[in-house]
Order: sequence, then C-alpha cells, then structure tokens
Amino acid sequence: MIKLKINGEEVKAKEGEFIIDVAKKSSINIPHLCYNERLERIGACRLCVVEVKGMEKLQASCCTQVRDGMDINTHSPKVLDARRLNIQLLLANHDLNCTICKENLMCKVQKYASELMIEDSIFEDLERNEPPDNSSVSIRRDNNKCILCEQCVRICNDVQTVYAIGMAHRGVGTRITPNFNHNMKESSCINCGQCVVACPTGALTEKSDVQGVIDALNSDKFLIAQTAPSIRATLGELFGLPAGTPVTEKMVTALKQIGFDKVFDTDLGADITIIEEATEFIKRLKENKNLPLITTCCPAWIKFGEQFYYNELNKNMSTCRSPQAILASLVKTYYAKKINKDPKDIILVDIMPCTAKKYEILRPEFNGEADFVLTTVELAKLLKELNVDFLKLEDSEFDNPLGASSGAGDIFGRTGGVMEAALRTAADWLTKKDLKAIDYHSIRGMDEIKEAEIKIGKDKIKICVVHTMGAARKLLDQIKEGKSPYHFIEIMACYGGCIGGGGQPPSHNKEILKKRINALIKVDEKKKLRKSHKNPAATKLYKEYLGKPGSEKAHKLLHTKYSKKGYV
Amino acid sequence: MKILEKSSLQAWKKVKKLGPDKTIALLKKKGLTGRGGAGFSTGLKWELTRKTKADERFIICNADEGEPGTFKDKLLLEEAPENIIEGILIAAYCIKAKQAYIYLRGEYISLKQKLESTISNLVRNSKIKIDIIQGAGAYICGDETAIISSIENKRGYPHFKPPYPPQKGLYGKPTVINNVETLANVPLALTKKDWSDNLRLFSISGDVSKPGVYELKINSKLGQIAKLAKAKSPKAVYFGAAGGLIPYKPNLIINSENICKEEASLGSCSLIFVSKSRNILDLALNISQFFKHESCGKCTPCREGNVHVLKLLEKIKTNQASKQDIELLEKLSKTIRDTALCGLGQSCTNHVLTALNQFNKEFKTK
Repeated sequence: MIKLKINGEEVKAKEGEFIIDVAKKSSINIPHLCYNERLERIGACRLCVVEVKGMEKLQASCCTQVRDGMDINTHSPKVLDARRLNIQLLLANHDLNCTICKENLMCKVQKYASELMIEDSIFEDLERNEPPDNSSVSIRRDNNKCILCEQCVRICNDVQTVYAIGMAHRGVGTRITPNFNHNMKESSCINCGQCVVACPTGALTEKSDVQGVIDALNSDKFLIAQTAPSIRATLGELFGLPAGTPVTEKMVTALKQIGFDKVFDTDLGADITIIEEATEFIKRLKENKNLPLITTCCPAWIKFGEQFYYNELNKNMSTCRSPQAILASLVKTYYAKKINKDPKDIILVDIMPCTAKKYEILRPEFNGEADFVLTTVELAKLLKELNVDFLKLEDSEFDNPLGASSGAGDIFGRTGGVMEAALRTAADWLTKKDLKAIDYHSIRGMDEIKEAEIKIGKDKIKICVVHTMGAARKLLDQIKEGKSPYHFIEIMACYGGCIGGGGQPPSHNKEILKKRINALIKVDEKKKLRKSHKNPAATKLYKEYLGKPGSEKAHKLLHTKYSKKGYV
Repeated sequence: MKILEKSSLQAWKKVKKLGPDKTIALLKKKGLTGRGGAGFSTGLKWELTRKTKADERFIICNADEGEPGTFKDKLLLEEAPENIIEGILIAAYCIKAKQAYIYLRGEYISLKQKLESTISNLVRNSKIKIDIIQGAGAYICGDETAIISSIENKRGYPHFKPPYPPQKGLYGKPTVINNVETLANVPLALTKKDWSDNLRLFSISGDVSKPGVYELKINSKLGQIAKLAKAKSPKAVYFGAAGGLIPYKPNLIINSENICKEEASLGSCSLIFVSKSRNILDLALNISQFFKHESCGKCTPCREGNVHVLKLLEKIKTNQASKQDIELLEKLSKTIRDTALCGLGQSCTNHVLTALNQFNKEFKTK
C-alpha cells in the first residue's frame, strides 16, 4: 500500500494503480473519452489530465500510475482550463447538431461540454462533410461525429480480433475506416456492436428500425413481439432504474400498450434450442463425432466462424437455430396456422440485445420469418416516443402459447447460460433421472474462458464457456489444430454474454454487467420450472406439431446451415 | 573530426575482455550521455535494461533523423558506419541482446547499401543480428515509442511513458534505444583517453554562408559559432523546429541549462540562424505547417490544436487578428505543451511561445 493525496485528502492505493482508478474509489469521477476499463490504455483524449505537484506538465490520469507521496489536484484552475480548451478543440471538429443526433442526451462529449460549462465556441469550426456509412444492416457510422478516441478500433481489433476497422491517414486528417476505405458491409464486421457500446458519441450507432416498427404498428397487420432473455434485465436502466432490476412484466405491458397484439417470450425459443441442441450433443457424444459441439445462438460468432474458420469448423457448429430464429419460425408456421392467418399478415418484431440479430433475420436460410429487430436501446426510444410512462405500468404476463418458459431459457442472456441450460437437459437425459443439482457454478462468472469437467453418470464431459471473440479464437485455433480437449463449447461474442450486447444500454463496466447477470440468475432461481425439457409449453409443441426432438420436421423448422463468407 | 577516428574493433576487443558489467561501469565513468536530445546517461540506460528480467532484449539504433535542420547523423552514417555498428555490437553484448535494429529514416535510403555491407563485414563472427528497418517518412517515428510501434508493424503512434523502453520496449521486452551519434561515440569513449562527452556534432544551417556539421565543444559561445559558420546579421537562432528559438546573443554560452533558461531546448544541437531580414511570423507559419502535417493524430491537443495554431497565425499574417486572438494563441500553445501525449506534441509550440514573448512586435493586431 502507498499513501498519496488527492485534492488534499490522504488516500491509500496499491502500487501500479492508475490515478483515474484511485480517484474513482474516492468518489471523484475524472472526465475521460478514450479510457475504457476493458481496453488497453492509450492516453489520447487528454481530458483526464490532472496536476501533480512537482511536475511541470499536466498528467493524463488514465495512464499515470500513482506513486508514494504523490500530491494530486484533479480540479485546479490549470486543470480546468486545459480540459475546457481540449474539449473546445474536439467541438470545433465535431458535428454540433446535437438535437438531431441519435446519441443526444447519451453522448459523452455533450455531457463533458456541459459539465465544463462550455458556452461559446472559441475556435473556428472545421468543416466535416463525410457522408455517413449506412451500408451495414446493423451499424451506422458517421465520421463527422468521431472524436478519434479509438475505443471502437481497440474493441474490434484487440478484444474481438475482427479487424473490421482501423486508423488511416494522420494528423487532423486521421480517420477511422474499414480496410482500404471500403464500407462496413464489405468489411469483416461481425455486427456484434461492441464498438457501438464503446463509442462515446453518435459516430457509431445501431442502424435504426424504429420507424419501420411505428409504421407496422399503424398498419392493419397482426403485430407480434418476442423479447430476448436479457432484455428484461436491462431495459429498466434506460428508464432510470438501477442496473440489475428485472422489468419483465412491465415490458410486456408496455408492448401491449403501444399496439402489439401478442407478446411472446424468446425464452421459449431458448428452451426449444436446448431440447434440439441437447439431442444433437448426445448423438455426437455417443458417436464421438464432430466434437466439440459449439453453440450457435450468437449471430456475431456465426459470422465470425463463417468468415475465419468455415472450412475447418463448419462441422463443429451446432445446426440449431438461435432462440430468436426458432420462435420466428414457429410464429410464422405453427402459430399462424393455429390462429388461421396468412403468415404475410403477421408482422413479427424481435426485441433483442443485439445489433447482429438485424443481420441474422436477413439470412436467406430464415426466409424473412422475423420482420424487424429492435435493440433494447431502440425499444426504450420507441416507448418514449409513444409516450409510455414505463415505471408506472401495471404488470402483465406473456401470451400463450409461445410465452411460457423455464429458468433455463432466462439464463441464455448471460455468459455460460446456454451451456448450463443444455447441461440441465443433457444430464437428465443421459442419466434418465430428474437431477436436483442443476446449478453449474464452475461456468459462471466474468472470466473470459471458463472450463470444467462435469461427471454425468459414467461420462466425464469437458466443457468450456467463452465470451468475446478474441478469447474464443484461442479455442477455435485449438480445435483447428486438433488439440481441443473439449466436448462442448459455448461462444458468445459480447463481454458478459447478451446482457453486454451491442444493443444494450451502453456499458462495459464489469460491476454493471455483473448486476445484470445476477438479475437473470435470480429470475431463474425463482422459477419452479428450471429445465427446458420440462417446460410444458415446449413439450406440447413437440406433441402437437414438431414430433420428436431431432425429427425431420424439427430439422426443417429449427435447424439451419452455414456458408463460407468473404470480406475485404 | 575526432568522432570520425576509426576504432577498428579495438573497443569490441576490449569489451570482450572487460565483460558487460565493467564496460557499463566504464561508460558511466566516462560520462557518455544520449545525443538524441534528452541527454540521459547511456551507461545507466544499458544497466537498467540489463537488470530488467526478461528472456529477450533488443537494441534499436535511432537513425530516423527527422528534426528540421538536423543532419549530423547522416554524416556519421556516411563517414563512420563502422563505429556505429561497433557501438551496436557492444550495446548488444552488454545488455544480452541477440537482435538489433537500425531504424533508418526513409529519406536516407541511399545510405542503406553501405550500412548493409558494413554490417556484413563486421558482424561476421558474432551471434548478434543487425537488421535495417526503413522508416516511411513520418516525423513522429523519431520518437522512441513510435519507433517501437513502427518496427512492430503497427501504426507509428507514440506511447505514454512509463513504462520506459528499458523496462518494456520492443515486443514488450527490455530495449535500449540509442541515437546514431551516441552509438558512434561508444567505441571512442571506451578506448580514447582524450575522449570528452562535451564534444558534440552541431548541425548549422539557415542564414549562414558556411552551413554544415561542426564538431564543437558544449559551452562554446554563440558568437563563436556564428563566426565559424559566417552567419549573416543574425537576429535569432532556432534549435531545430521543436526546440524553439532564442534571440541572438553573441555572448550566450551554449549548453542545455542556458538554452533552457531562454525557454528553448538545445536538443540534438541543431542551430538554424535567422537573419534580421526575416520576419519571425513567417517562420512561425512555416514551422506550424510542418507540425500540423507531422502530428500523428493520436492525442487531441496536438492533432486538433496545431490546426488552430496555424489558423490563428494566418489571421495575424493577414492583419485580421484581435488582441483576444493573440491571447488565445498563447493559451492554446501552452495547453498543447502541457497536455500533449508525447515529446513532439509537448514541444511543437515552443517556437510560438518564445516568438510571442521575445518578438511580440512582429505579432500585430488589426
């Protein structure tokens, strides 16, 4: 432990800690734009500068380590002057049409300009006339709002190892761009949207489908919404609730209030995914063929796999559709028939944590079964535009027959959840018992790679759970080299799983993500029904419509195939 | 010039007998300091690198001589490549490095062949590998952390310090980065009895009749240097572009401390003389254009700030500037100096600040 002073107060810190982090523990939030606890520190924005006694120059607190006896001032006149000037410099090269920006009221440049009490521009405005890149179905890029904090590049390259975007040119001409100035659609972007989460401004946002949904709500079509497992744990944050407050029932009411005829739960799709995937896994395990099996609920990982590992790993990828795609398939076939409607007269809107789902629903294998994807952030915007007083809403339940789900479906929204849900079912089936021990603690938590050996009856099964693609790449390379010790792998592209998805309230903060995860764990624990194959709504579907798990009809409606994808 | 005296591997042979610890101790005793501008003790740098625990260490010879008005390394690369390579071998031996790189300025491509043949002649029986890496023309790649990025095939961006290269350098391994002139001095410092750290190469240019590289002692009088190079009615002296300028004072004794007192920086001893016929504002415009062009783009104050420094200077040039504009120019220049990430950013407005201070009459308001 070392002792130092921050603004006259004595503070203790560990050696090697950085000023910004030590200050935060003392309830001092130093403004920053390029610093992100998930990423390598670069010290580029220079907004976090502080004065250190005895040092002539100001020090960037994000990349200056504390030393014993240091005397730091985080808000001296010199510090405030420098911060004001540096934000003025950013503003002079930034599109200032804040009121018509998607990031309005969420933008960190706007926040700091306000906090630093900027009233007039002191520098001549630099013209920026780059057309926005709307080529991607998931992500919109507007370089006129980019402040070059490089968070997106670091997430994309260092964390996700996707290398869709990078830095080009130099000096004031520096730009973030896909390779060789191509557009986002042609790039290797996997649509995970982690760059959108990281971006402090409106330079990277989700591609909005809100208007399309408003038009649909005003049409004479039959409107159905399905909500992904993680939305219930995160939507509340956008209405001022603390992170980790589940709002499942209010969310259903809200969707009903704005005009949805039915609200279904993607969790049921998750239960069916598990029934199919557990069947697939047991088959592969018995045949000892195409192992490890890799889960395929995450559309960002699927595109990653198709781009970088198709030839080697195509066989290992589960053929099960994602819960979203399964429920979409059932809505447009089973349910349409049940209510005697032409599927064309039904509009299905998916509420997803994910920008990549916007890409997934357009995959030709899925025949346009889902019509729109709204992210959590978009749903909140839609509800606000349609005057929903969210916090005052009464509770209501999901609709039948596609609304009942098990706790196993709920935990899909967090890293390790799909694996845990699959094990609950596979273990029961392999042992032919109704097992009581269903909490797999060894694959919970925020470690990027979590592995375990599970004993099921006589079988010893080696499993691995991984989130973020950079970590996943290590496992994928292992399989490619024939050295993978695992039978079953879960891959999620986003940090923390879907609760940290590209369409979620933007945060890479570990504590916030943990709270969201705990909310899902609690939702699961409170349920009596915690195994997918015990969900009566699911078993009824098989009985009435799908036949046996893994049947021909199940394969047609619930499974998919992959193809090699190219990129620049 | 003393620096061009050939060592002919005499130092290398001596070092092999002495061993690394005694060599480093001798170098520290002789007082060799870095010629790149910071003036850090070379022996101490090597010692720190040697002491950092690692399985691999590297030597980088910084031959990216890009500072305006600086050309002394070019002379050494042309005339004394043997001493440089011998210096690299000694450094590598002392810090246990098996790989060394010479980061050669892109524009110096014509020197590459001679350097390569010198390497193959001298390094024949050594386990140390020396490779030449060609820069691509960016000024920022003269910064030691940007060199590291560039050699690692990354964008030539500087990195904050600490960690310093002796702790964590190329590929995260302890690394010594020495200037060409420093390394060329290593064999001489270790073998010549009359060697002195005070003897430096000066690059003299500007309004002088005899520009060129001069070997001069630190603590020479500025008037003496002006006389040698036949400066034409000097009014000011620039120390490269980043070092800023001082008004011409013939009795000023040239050393780091004195130049620092004048709010400039001696750096690598590049003196650009400016005659009375020139306008400092024009030079400020020229230098600001250079820095706007050469800013790497990483940190806000340097990337964005240099654009506005230039804009404000242009406003003054066209007689449109108000008193507030000049105040803003000063405030902006200070903020860039105090908050930029790297040495380039922190020094790129030195010239504006001194000019505003010493030649304020040339910065007129409307």
